[in-house]
Amino acid sequence: MRSKLVPIAITTASLVMLGLAGCSTGGSSSSTDAAGGDVTLTLATWRTEDTAMWEDEILPAFESSHPGITVDYAPVGTDDYNAAIQSQIEGGTGADLIMCRPFDVNRAWIDDGYFAPLKGTDAVSHFDETALAAWTDTDGNPFCVPTASVLAGFYYNTAIFDELGLKVPTTQAELLDVLDTIKQSGKYEPLALGSADGWQLAYNVLYSMGPNYWNGEEGRLGLIDGSQKLTDPDFVAAFDAFDSLKPYLPAGYESLTYEDMMQLFTLGKAAIIPDGSWDISAATATGLDVGVFGAPVAKAGDQRYQQEMPDQGIGMNAKTEHQEAAQQFLDWLATPEFQSLYVNKLPGFFAMGDEPVTYDDPLAQKFADLKTDAELTPRLALDRLSAGTPPLDDEIWVALQNMYNSDLSAKDATAELQAGLDTWYKPGQ
Amino acid sequence: MKRTARSYRNLILFSGPALVVYAGFLVIPLIASVVLSFFQSGKGTSTFVGFGNYVYLFTNGSTSERFWNALVNNFEFFGVHLLVELPIGLLMAALLTSSTLRRSRGVYRTLLFIPATLSVVIVGFVWRLIINPLWGIVDFPLLGDENTALPTIALMSVWEYVGIPMIFLYTALIAIPDDILEAAKLDGSNAWSTFWRVKFPLIAPQFGLIAILTYIWTFNGFDIIYALNGSAPGPDYSTDILGTLFYRTFFGSSGQVADPDLGATVASVVFFLILIITALYFFVVQRRLKNYEL
Repeated sequence: MRSKLVPIAITTASLVMLGLAGCSTGGSSSSTDAAGGDVTLTLATWRTEDTAMWEDEILPAFESSHPGITVDYAPVGTDDYNAAIQSQIEGGTGADLIMCRPFDVNRAWIDDGYFAPLKGTDAVSHFDETALAAWTDTDGNPFCVPTASVLAGFYYNTAIFDELGLKVPTTQAELLDVLDTIKQSGKYEPLALGSADGWQLAYNVLYSMGPNYWNGEEGRLGLIDGSQKLTDPDFVAAFDAFDSLKPYLPAGYESLTYEDMMQLFTLGKAAIIPDGSWDISAATATGLDVGVFGAPVAKAGDQRYQQEMPDQGIGMNAKTEHQEAAQQFLDWLATPEFQSLYVNKLPGFFAMGDEPVTYDDPLAQKFADLKTDAELTPRLALDRLSAGTPPLDDEIWVALQNMYNSDLSAKDATAELQAGLDTWYKPGQ
Repeated sequence: MKRTARSYRNLILFSGPALVVYAGFLVIPLIASVVLSFFQSGKGTSTFVGFGNYVYLFTNGSTSERFWNALVNNFEFFGVHLLVELPIGLLMAALLTSSTLRRSRGVYRTLLFIPATLSVVIVGFVWRLIINPLWGIVDFPLLGDENTALPTIALMSVWEYVGIPMIFLYTALIAIPDDILEAAKLDGSNAWSTFWRVKFPLIAPQFGLIAILTYIWTFNGFDIIYALNGSAPGPDYSTDILGTLFYRTFFGSSGQVADPDLGATVASVVFFLILIITALYFFVVQRRLKNYEL
């Protein structure tokens, strides 16, 4: 009896120990080959979908020009990324190189000392202040190299536009005319837009159309320094412009998700979809001939504003053991070689450096062309205004859903949002 | 049985490994999480704040609004489960024991239980397509309306898990000895009155158990809501329950920095809600339930 029990007990006990040991080895940082002096860097990102691209194309390009340094790509899913990075760094096992979230999350990380400063290094010398703004501390010192931005625009089905004899709208009035004509035709949905996903209403509709009313950076920075309020006429007009699309939404739009919208568009059942540039591949996946136009201005002759959202930067862990190698990697990220390699492997993402980049994907090039005659501005509420509770950005998602779903007016929505912001945000601090 | 030194040694030997795993992966993290809820950390430091996090969660303007909303929604989520799942489960169990089924009983039992074995993500996805106003069978945006969204999701979950109360009640029904039923028949009782007057009282204790299990499941609920609506479940937080509120607080959302201390506070509140109600059930309700010796 005993002889049979003992091995089982030992096996069980050792399995338990194995399990416990396994728990403690997650998220190792980096290692140095003691003999050669070769360095291995770890790069933490939330882009799990780009693993093959980084490992097969981008990192080999870096490693071939920088012998002795290898880079391990270590992605974490985007939903868990913030928590993973925070727990790794607090636990002393953070990666050497860390992909940076734009604005408030990153500013909190900078304040907590996660990143090494980059001021004065080659890595940031090729970017202007606006490009770096998403990854600076409160004094404006940069901590991450910008690697890609995303743009917002209105994709349209050129076949439907040709069939109905429509012209690309440049003003708000023209846009409503176009939507009206499509609706009258009865054959197509004018807009592939639903309100089930609040972020989509904010990022691709309000923050895309709105800058034409609040004058881009003027309004955005005005909210931050307290000289403007959401209840000002410019902002109310922007929310009204958002509301003006409501009659053109498909039936049952309240429960249409982001994925449903894209299906509606790619099946050729809807003429226009307001969306981000990251969906270039999805929008053309079914072989549609797709064009893109920027958010229309309020009146003919107005300055046009284009949303360009800093999406990803890469910074250096302040506690890395391989500072020199990590700095070389960051310097390389700023070169035209990386900047054009990266965005062309990743259609829908755009370089932020001062060197012009050409795009192989024709739709990506059309998107990039939207930047030429427009003033650029990032999404309204992600800088400082969402660093407290309630975060303005999240509140805007819900307010926009309520405008479409339960007839909340632009005036009431902006008043509610400003009241929520006033409970915690004190400008100039 | 007399306990000898040897039987004690065997007891430790057999339960030891399970105890180590249970303590290591459940008890210790649970205590650590409750401890965490009494601290506030940031910039590498951690300060003891007593019940500060709880006071903040219950009273701070916008945070408490989300919390109370999630709590109310959670009770609604539980209510729909209980009110729909129990009667349907009972009906199915009663039909399964019906003598006319005989041969096909096994087939039906399996069919009705299969949804419970499916992944929540699949169930949510399939139902979302079925009720999609664009290509589904209903025109009304069930998931897009604040009043119908939560009951709709609760009913999807009921559809998935109704097999579980069914199996509980079914096993209780088939455990009733035939001689009791034969006695009822001899006394002139028909099928209807036999069911309600003989079988039903005998399986009544099962209802309490199912109710408390449903309570625990729904207050630990998270997966189906997260799968359908993400971590800030709309419209207008009408499908937000404590599980999703916890996730959003602990892990952060798109633009929100994660707050593990407040997240641990939400988790502890959920833990105490479950602990108190479960304890009440076991010490007060279950003792009063009549268990018939069969």
